Amino acid sequence: MIKPILLGLFFGFSLYYVGANNFHNILDMLRLRNMTLGKIIFFAIGFAAFLTGLTAELGLLNIDHFSVKPMHLGVILGGLIFGIGFGMIGRCPGTCPAAIGSGDLRDAVIAFIGGLFGAFLFSISYKNLDNLGIFQKMDFGKISLFQISNKYDSIFHLGHSGLILMGIIFMILAYLIPMEIRK
Amino acid sequence: MKNKWIISAIVLGLSFFIAIYFAKPIGVSTQFSVLSGKAHQIVHDIVSDEPLIVENDGYHSINAYYDKSDGKIAKNIMNLNNYGILFFISIFIGAFLGKILLKRNTSESYKRKLNKKRVLISFISGALLLYGARFAGGCTSGHMMSGMMQSSVSGFVFAFFVFLIAIPVAIGGEGK
Repeated sequence: MIKPILLGLFFGFSLYYVGANNFHNILDMLRLRNMTLGKIIFFAIGFAAFLTGLTAELGLLNIDHFSVKPMHLGVILGGLIFGIGFGMIGRCPGTCPAAIGSGDLRDAVIAFIGGLFGAFLFSISYKNLDNLGIFQKMDFGKISLFQISNKYDSIFHLGHSGLILMGIIFMILAYLIPMEIRK
Repeated sequence: MKNKWIISAIVLGLSFFIAIYFAKPIGVSTQFSVLSGKAHQIVHDIVSDEPLIVENDGYHSINAYYDKSDGKIAKNIMNLNNYGILFFISIFIGAFLGKILLKRNTSESYKRKLNKKRVLISFISGALLLYGARFAGGCTSGHMMSGMMQSSVSGFVFAFFVFLIAIPVAIGGEGK
C-alpha cells in the first residue's frame, strides 16, 4: 500500500505548491480579480489530458485505469449545492486537508468537520433522493467525449488522440485567460 | 518570472497524471462519506441491536448509500486501511511537507480571528461542499479535474454548474 501514500503525498504537496491551500487565492479566482489559480487549474487539466492521451496512444497506459463517472441530474444539483459552499469559503474537499496539513488550524478544521456532517447528511438522505428518481433523470450513464476505453460510450469517433488534442487546446486557452478580468 | 504559474500548473497536472498512470484517477470526497460513515456505524451499533453493516458474502448495509455498488462504501467503512483513506491522509502530510520544504510565508492568512459568524459560515459551507459533492458523485478533484482530463461529460457538466453559482456567490460575499 505504498502507492496511495506516495500519490497522496505528491498531491498534497502540489496543492500547497500552487497555493490552493490558501482560500484567498481561490476566492480571488472566483471573484475574477486574480486568475492565476484559474490559469493553473485549466492548464493542469490540459497537461494531464495531454500526457494521459499520449501514453494511452503509445500503449504505455493501462486503459483499465480510466474511470468515468456517470452523468445524471444529481451532477447538476450537486454541482449547484457544491458551488454555493465553494463560493462562500473558497475551499473544496481536497484543499481543506491541504490547508489543515500546512497549519491552517482554524476555520479549515471547522469546514472539515462541516464536510463530514454534510457527507453524513447525504448518506442518510440518499434513499429518499433515489426514490425521487433524481439519479435516473438525465441519465446518460458513463459517457466521455472521446473513445478512451470500450467500457464507456463516447460522443465523438475519436480515440486517445482526442485527449491529446483537447489537452493542447486547454493549455493554449489557459495561457490566453487574462490575469485579471475584474479590477 | 512572468510565467511562473506554468511551472505550478505542470506540477499540479503531473499529480493527476501519475495517479491515473500508476493506479486510478484522483478522488477525495468519497473519504468524507467513509469517515463519517465510520462514526455513524460506531454510534449506530451502540444504540441499536441491528448492525449498520454486516459482512456476509461481501458487505451489506441497511443504509442504501453504504450498500450501493455491491457495498463498496460499507466495505471501506469496515476496512479503514484502504487505498482511498491512505491517499486522503497523505494529502495532509504532503501539504505539511510542502510548507517545510518551500518555506513560503503563508502564516499571515492563518492568523485570522475566529468569531462565531466565521465558525458558522465555515461549518455550513463545509457541509454544502460535501453534500453537493456526494450528490454529484465527486468534487473538484474527482469530477472536475480527473473527469475533464479523461473528457468525461459529467466532469464538464459539474464544473460548469459549480462555477455558474460559485462566481456570483464569491463576488456577492466580497468585503463581508
